[in-house]
Amino acid sequence: MEPGGEEERALLDSADDRCPQRKALPALCDPRRLAHRLLVLAFMCFLGFGSYFCYDNPAALQTQVQGDMKVNTATFMALYAWYSWPNVVLCFFGGFLIDRVFGIRLGTIIFSSFVCVGQVIFAMGALLNAFWLMEAGRFVFGIGGESLAVAQNAYAVSWFKGKELNLVFGLQLSMARIGSTVNMNIMGWIYSRVQDLLGSTGYSTLGLTLMIGGVTCIFSLICALTLAYLDKRAEKILCKEQGKTGEVIKLTDVKDFSLSLWLIFIVCVCYYVAVFPFIGLGKVFFIEKFRFSSQEASAINSIVYIISAPMSPVFGFLVDKLGRNIIWVLVAVVATLASHIMLAFTFWNPWIAMCLLGVAYSLLACALWPMVAFVVPEHQLGTAYGFMQSIQNLGLAIIAIAAGMILDSRGYLFLEVFFSACICLSLIAVVMLYFVNHLTGGDLNWSAKKREKLQKLAAAEKEI
Amino acid sequence: MQGWGTLLLPGLCLLGSFSCLLAAAGGYRRQVTLQFNPGTNVSSVNLLHVRAVGRNDTLHYVWSTIGAPTVLLLYTRSPSSALHVNWTKLLSASPAGAIWIEPPGSVVYSTAVVFTKVFEYNGANVSASSKGWEKQFYPAYDLAGFSWQNLNRTLNQTALTVTFQGVDTSDPGGAFRNGTISFQVTAYEQGSRDGHLPRLLHTANSSKVEFIMDKVAPRGNSSRFLLEVVTVEEKGRSKRLRSTWSIDDEFTPTIFEMAQLVSEPCNDSIGLSFFQWKTTAYGSKNASRENAIRCHYDPLQTSNRTLPGPSIVHAYFGEDLGRNLTVTAINISFGGEDGEVYAEKGYLSWSALLGFGVPPEDTFSPLVIAIMAVALGTPVVLLVAGGVVVLFTQRKRYSEYEPIN
Repeated sequence: MEPGGEEERALLDSADDRCPQRKALPALCDPRRLAHRLLVLAFMCFLGFGSYFCYDNPAALQTQVQGDMKVNTATFMALYAWYSWPNVVLCFFGGFLIDRVFGIRLGTIIFSSFVCVGQVIFAMGALLNAFWLMEAGRFVFGIGGESLAVAQNAYAVSWFKGKELNLVFGLQLSMARIGSTVNMNIMGWIYSRVQDLLGSTGYSTLGLTLMIGGVTCIFSLICALTLAYLDKRAEKILCKEQGKTGEVIKLTDVKDFSLSLWLIFIVCVCYYVAVFPFIGLGKVFFIEKFRFSSQEASAINSIVYIISAPMSPVFGFLVDKLGRNIIWVLVAVVATLASHIMLAFTFWNPWIAMCLLGVAYSLLACALWPMVAFVVPEHQLGTAYGFMQSIQNLGLAIIAIAAGMILDSRGYLFLEVFFSACICLSLIAVVMLYFVNHLTGGDLNWSAKKREKLQKLAAAEKEI
Repeated sequence: MQGWGTLLLPGLCLLGSFSCLLAAAGGYRRQVTLQFNPGTNVSSVNLLHVRAVGRNDTLHYVWSTIGAPTVLLLYTRSPSSALHVNWTKLLSASPAGAIWIEPPGSVVYSTAVVFTKVFEYNGANVSASSKGWEKQFYPAYDLAGFSWQNLNRTLNQTALTVTFQGVDTSDPGGAFRNGTISFQVTAYEQGSRDGHLPRLLHTANSSKVEFIMDKVAPRGNSSRFLLEVVTVEEKGRSKRLRSTWSIDDEFTPTIFEMAQLVSEPCNDSIGLSFFQWKTTAYGSKNASRENAIRCHYDPLQTSNRTLPGPSIVHAYFGEDLGRNLTVTAINISFGGEDGEVYAEKGYLSWSALLGFGVPPEDTFSPLVIAIMAVALGTPVVLLVAGGVVVLFTQRKRYSEYEPIN
């Protein structure tokens, strides 16, 4: 744990004046030291592990869920929809709840508890062979899941602002992807072990498997409690304030949103609805169309997450350096379209298409989300991001169910065509965004150099 | 405008595919008649003659449960060829020559498909460790020993369907106390697609047979069933097993494989016959994706098969089957290692298409083509239109704007 040398980095400057100097603590326990921050970082990363692990439980166990609970694909996909429904609203309030109502520490514990309880209800639903209870579990899980991510970010800002913040964000994102990947690859195995143990398949096998999956949520809850303790302790030692998200949501801002922002929203929604529901249904797709074994299918279905874990920071860096966000988004959307078309119309090795999808997905995330900041004044940023996540969740909920229904009645080819059409819609929005931006003289597509130059110019003008 | 061109092209494609489809669907029509036990009023046996008359040829399908359920497929190059049955001979111990076509010279090609046995075995999920595991078989149901209900009651002249429904007469285990095995036959006048799953595409030159097990009590906790199908070809020809993988599963969701037994090609294009099925069965009367049962098949067995008689195959081809005919067999099993779909509702239905000519193949539906055309066309149109607009405004801007300094 101890990093090389005794490099001392004072944490918060304000701490020195008002707080009495305490006796020296070991590096690992001293909030002023890097070693301690790294410890906190570890807890922060594992805070989200449980929720990301359990989010994709249904995808990892699609055949088992559908077989044991006797549901069709549309009903199965409702599990994903129920996760998204609460977040259509909660995206606006997550930050508010943390800043004004609970505070970050209590908020995190509450959201973690929701995740835990949700997963337990989910598993109970399977144990009792009551699918509605499983859906209720996913709903409760959804209430906690997305807000927990907001709390996680707030913690990161509070501990690492002005230091290794971007790296920390990157690490947290990577951890999320690792959670999803581990889930995809391990849940099937756990199910078969439980099956050996119980001697039969059936809803109780599924329920027990999901309960075991829920252990990760307990683990995350423990992380939340530990973090709360450490944060409180640091507050005492350093006399710092409790972290805040700083998000201000004003729904009336929506009427001021520019055309460019709306186009960005369309790009976002149409893109993500063709990726996440696809991954939700992906495992069985690879088994049925490409004759993959269960393990192989799990592996290929998680490749998007595996790729995005290391590629996100790389692309983030590249886009920052090069600018021209719209072009990158365009490239990502076209690549995704190509990958969906490949999956729909060919029997080519799906690893090609999925790797392409993984790369495109990482690139899009890095190029699209920062664009919001260019077209929205800073005081409206919270509202804009909240709105974007809200309609994204709305889209995901609707399309998840639609995708299930399409699959049941029309099969995979049609489903892939449908996803391709969604991506095309996204593509249309990007193209329009490009022209709108061009015609209105917006700065979305400037190269980083030009941006820097203009910033300098503006700064110089200010000085004068 | 250039935009119109890009719109027009997919539109034309769409129109083209539509007309192609219509041509395929409504192009050729045969006049089909179903006749139960032609030329006799014996009702203890079932023989169904399906006569499909075309412009200058006739297809005869002779279905019968004398012996194992069998269908004779006879292609005649005459719109007036007729089937004749010598019933006394047919019901005797040596039925050779009891079925023939008049005029005999009009028969161009003949083949037969026999559903001989249903096997039941224990298909419990066996862990991968025991690879050398042998299926544990229960005594097979010999369909030749079944008693079949009178066909006349199920004969539907307008829908052109008929059902052979049978039970095991010996039935030592009582599996058929409530259960039946049936073969539901559908004849077609023209090409189209079935309304219910697996939505097989058929031509006027084909018929469908649906194998149905209804409430036959399984003898084990994880029983799987297997149907043995025997095909008979004239000497010099043989059947070949072909598996076609299609990317198009929009008609039979999630099923990409079509398996077919095709007679080895010969000079005469209609002389080809086929027996094709999608690799899926369904575990409910309302067939849907959730109750799909994976369907597997073993390689074709060609060596030294004989056909137990008597049956209408012997009656048509003569006694000396082994010498004059090539007999091949294939096993089609229902259900994989996991999933007890049959046990749930006690229902299994599997459809196959048999007929003459080139086996039908699925093509993209117009809807898929339309969606792809619009989805891909619009961004391109937009790009072009936007480019033009930008070009214009830029020119304007350059001409109108004056330098600031």
